[in-house]
Amino acid sequence: MNAAIDNHWYPVAMITGIDAPRETLLLGKKITLGREDGTCWVLDASGAELPTVERFGHLWTSPGQPNRDLFTIPEADNPGRRLVDVGSVKVKCSPLRAVENFLDIAHFPFVHTDILGAEPHTEVDRYDVKIREEVDEVWATKVKFYQPQAAKSAAGGITTEYMYRVPAPTCSVLYKTCPPRPGEWDIITLFVQPLTDEWCEVWPWMALYDDDSTMSEMVSFQQLIFMQDRSILENQIPRKLPLDPGMEVPTQADMTSVAYRRWLKKIGYTYGAQLVAA
Amino acid sequence: MDWVAVALTEDVPPGVVIPSRIEDTDLAIWCTPSGRYHAWSDRCPHRGMRLSHGFVRGETLACIYHGWQYNETGSCDYIPAHPKLTPPDTICVPTYTCAEEGGVIWVSLTDTDRPLPALGGRTPVRSLPVNMSAADLAAHFGATTFTTIAVVSDVDVLLAVQPCTGGTCMVHALAAAEADRSSVSHWLENLRATLEGVPA
Ligand code: FES
Ligand SMILES: [Fe+2]
Repeated sequence: MNAAIDNHWYPVAMITGIDAPRETLLLGKKITLGREDGTCWVLDASGAELPTVERFGHLWTSPGQPNRDLFTIPEADNPGRRLVDVGSVKVKCSPLRAVENFLDIAHFPFVHTDILGAEPHTEVDRYDVKIREEVDEVWATKVKFYQPQAAKSAAGGITTEYMYRVPAPTCSVLYKTCPPRPGEWDIITLFVQPLTDEWCEVWPWMALYDDDSTMSEMVSFQQLIFMQDRSILENQIPRKLPLDPGMEVPTQADMTSVAYRRWLKKIGYTYGAQLVAA
Repeated sequence: MDWVAVALTEDVPPGVVIPSRIEDTDLAIWCTPSGRYHAWSDRCPHRGMRLSHGFVRGETLACIYHGWQYNETGSCDYIPAHPKLTPPDTICVPTYTCAEEGGVIWVSLTDTDRPLPALGGRTPVRSLPVNMSAADLAAHFGATTFTTIAVVSDVDVLLAVQPCTGGTCMVHALAAAEADRSSVSHWLENLRATLEGVPA
């Protein structure tokens, strides 16, 4: 029992995907989940009921006593958005590595070539990062990057603006220039379920303005992106995320990841973290 | 440390990088477009990505994750996210002593003044993974080292044994140019079956 790890909300299923009760892992321990009369339930290994929240199309639970409500994304409720359950991808890496990769833009030209980035547009300009103490979240703003195909709805190359938010240790929300509606933000999230400290299930979810693409086109676009990320995430050494400086070398483009690691350390979130150089 | 065969040159043509290993040390073996071989730690100092997934560009090895480029000494030359920056000398990949001889790429994890193994003009036939430790395999032939093991029986073969993870090894077989390659290849498969205790 470690309150700094247990007292958070974790995604464990896509609500529309729950039919029969099923088992999964949360923080290395077996849990069982299901739905009855439209309400979801989760039990721990001893059969005790765990708290639940149904939000963003997903079921959330906690093995501890969360000291605050699950975060909200008020913008996602705006009318006209299409809510997209992308499904899930299991990845053999620390849940923290999966979040950190989501916060990274410098890999776009090399990993998502000709989609989210392309050479020679590789430069990452300085952006703003801070830990917002009042909400205890990591925020990166004014992140700009040239993208050949920023979204399914983009007609050609554009410079996209991003804002990243880390509202919980294994979750991130991305606000991104919306090609068909300048002035509005598309929302793409990454909800990560820590199966173990070196294995995770990633549940992306989106709230987009896109009146033209079909649901399956939007899902396939995002799944392609995550498959490309998975080929990276399963080949980083070590699998856990080093929190102590020295083992890896950040540059200015990595300010978000540096803040994320610092914040994890500050709140004592060590599940999936590598604390001493191996 | 003695030389270890880590790959055959035919598997690492110019402009290619492949993964290899010596026991628990993961290696990225690559060949520059002008034909020089290098053996490096298979881990990018930036975010730990395996360099064997990278790509050769010019006379550098680039990491697939963020495109950092490392020159032939292992120093980082170029960071695409900051094209105007000259990377500090401290950003470098650990490199190992590497040489080519007789169509085999040899690596020593520590500096060595030992000569490269004498191959007697033999050239590689094939490589085969064997589920047995390099030391046990050497002992099977009564040899004290596994760098190369000369076998003279019904065939004339030189085995260069590469210790891998989990008590396994890779056996690179070399034979004289005039030898019958397919019978050497069969002999090697039979040897593996015998060593692993499975019927051939
Ligand atoms: S991990 Fe190699 S360039 Fe970033
Ligand atoms: Fe990515």
